[in-house]
Amino acid sequence: MSASVIVLFLIIVGATLVVTYIAAKRTSSASDFYTAGGGLTGWQNGLAIAGDYLSAASFLGIAGAIALFGFDGFLFSIGYLVAYLVVLFIVAEPLRNLGKYTLADMINARFNAKKVRAAAALSTITIVVFYMIAQLVGAGALIHLLFQIDYVWAVLIVGVMMTTYVLFGGMTATSWVQIIKAVLLMVGTIIISFLVFMKFDFSLTQMFSHMKTATPHGEAFLNPGVKYKMPLDTMSLMIALVFGTAGLPHILMRFFTVKDAKTARSSVMWATWIVGIFYILTIFLGFGAAAFVGSEAIIKENAAGNMAAPLLAQALGGDLLMSFVSAVAFATILAVVAGLVLTGASAFAHDIYGEIFKKGKASEKQQMKAARYASVGVSVFSILLAIFAQSLNVAFLVSLAFCIAASANLPVIVYTIFWRKFNTAGAVSAILTGLISALVLVSISPSVLSPEGTAILTGNPIFPLTNPALVSVPLGFLGGWIGTMVTKERDVLKYSEVNVRANTGGFRQL
Amino acid sequence: MGKIAVPKSQGAILRNTDHAILGDIADQGKLDEQTPNFVAIENSEGFKKLIARKRAFLVPSIILFLSLYIGFNLLISYTDLLDKPFLGAITWVWVFSIGLFIMTWTLVTVYMRRSAQFDTMASETLKEFNYDGEANS
Repeated sequence: MSASVIVLFLIIVGATLVVTYIAAKRTSSASDFYTAGGGLTGWQNGLAIAGDYLSAASFLGIAGAIALFGFDGFLFSIGYLVAYLVVLFIVAEPLRNLGKYTLADMINARFNAKKVRAAAALSTITIVVFYMIAQLVGAGALIHLLFQIDYVWAVLIVGVMMTTYVLFGGMTATSWVQIIKAVLLMVGTIIISFLVFMKFDFSLTQMFSHMKTATPHGEAFLNPGVKYKMPLDTMSLMIALVFGTAGLPHILMRFFTVKDAKTARSSVMWATWIVGIFYILTIFLGFGAAAFVGSEAIIKENAAGNMAAPLLAQALGGDLLMSFVSAVAFATILAVVAGLVLTGASAFAHDIYGEIFKKGKASEKQQMKAARYASVGVSVFSILLAIFAQSLNVAFLVSLAFCIAASANLPVIVYTIFWRKFNTAGAVSAILTGLISALVLVSISPSVLSPEGTAILTGNPIFPLTNPALVSVPLGFLGGWIGTMVTKERDVLKYSEVNVRANTGGFRQL
Repeated sequence: MGKIAVPKSQGAILRNTDHAILGDIADQGKLDEQTPNFVAIENSEGFKKLIARKRAFLVPSIILFLSLYIGFNLLISYTDLLDKPFLGAITWVWVFSIGLFIMTWTLVTVYMRRSAQFDTMASETLKEFNYDGEANS
């Protein structure tokens, strides 16, 4: 480990702790804790959404995948970006207009039923846990690669940092860690892309024609089909990505940090520009790594290609640039897991404790105490799971989280906003059908069962798709429809209220 | 539910207790003094126009981006059409991909402009009902 890595690493840790210290002074109420008092501006929240969304899997994973598999490595980025249109057109504004701290709040603006809230909290917690395990296991392995720190220590360092941010600085600290990370990530990516593009004399055609012969795949590198050979499987994953983002609880929660729907909208605009430009730049990172590091050298460090970007940085800018990229990757990991801790804590402390057990009558002090206990609880639980899951192949958990979000959360959100007949039974059954079908199908899929023992368990997969979204998303919608149609309860007056509030932003209930 | 006429001259904010106005729904027993009359707002010309305008933009936009996105995935999964060269070594698949990025940014930008109108319509509707809080704008 070089001195420059240690210095940059300490600067990031130091800077985020200063942010947390300042944020802690401003965090005195539950609203401060969960939503940073609702005072973020559009560009701030846009950057924070990008910081929350672009995980190390995006930064190191996609760059590596492009380097090793060409176009197929880039494919997911399209789904990750187009998904923001679903967020903007369907979810963001009604969510801001109806909700308070959590997704369950928004759905309960219509139903005010404990079982709906419990179901929504359950799906939030499931998504957060899966996403978190994937992030922490990935983080432990990456930090081990980047800084040569033991896996368990790496997970503990990340765990302690994320707990500190959330516990003391709540959403304010989390948001600013995400903003700082997004800026660092963009700066790092732009520098490397510029250096790569310079090597190709700033000519796209020259870059592409070089790539035709630069990798073992030859011309196929520039076309789909190198990695993903099963059409239906790819379709299912792409469905999970495009519909999942609009149901990811840690992304949805970010919309409560702005004052109104107009600002929520402009945060999506900022996020799409940042996220989109970032993904386009990953093409330069991936091509650069394939051309100037070479797939053999990349695979030698890490079979999944995660070291492609740091190795490229070293090839182009020496140790200093590599240290910077490693530090950025570290910041990236911290920002994402902090957002997840906060979201998990909100489901336990606000939805389950505050609203279900205390019936919304918990005092400000009790709410804060619950939020902090829940943050520590969620952190400790995830750290333990991550340590036990070290040797498991858990990379599929990220796309599973997207799949659950698309199957369990999106249908209930859409029905709540648009369907007058939708009722309590429909809401519960939409969430549970989506959640359970996604979980059951994935547990009998090739992601969990493989005959060679390369997945979690050894055995023959019963369900053929690695990601069940193609089946479970329609099931979520169907579950909501059947649940509603077989029960008699209707409340058209309440729908009028929700319709007016969602579309005008008036009559906000605080 | 039948259409409910809303006299604009009344001045004061309409409450659900205005039985004369609410007519058929007032006896459902779910109304209370504090609730604004959402049914009346929902049935007002201003609100209906807002929803119609929103739908006129959102429905075609959603159909457009979903069909391009799913169409793209079908094309790359089941055909080789996009493997053909566009310019030098750059194949059509990259052009279509970046096209989807440009589509996303374009639709977001267009929506940002349109939604300014939606905000004005929403706040006018709320004003009509003497709602003194803040609308989207």
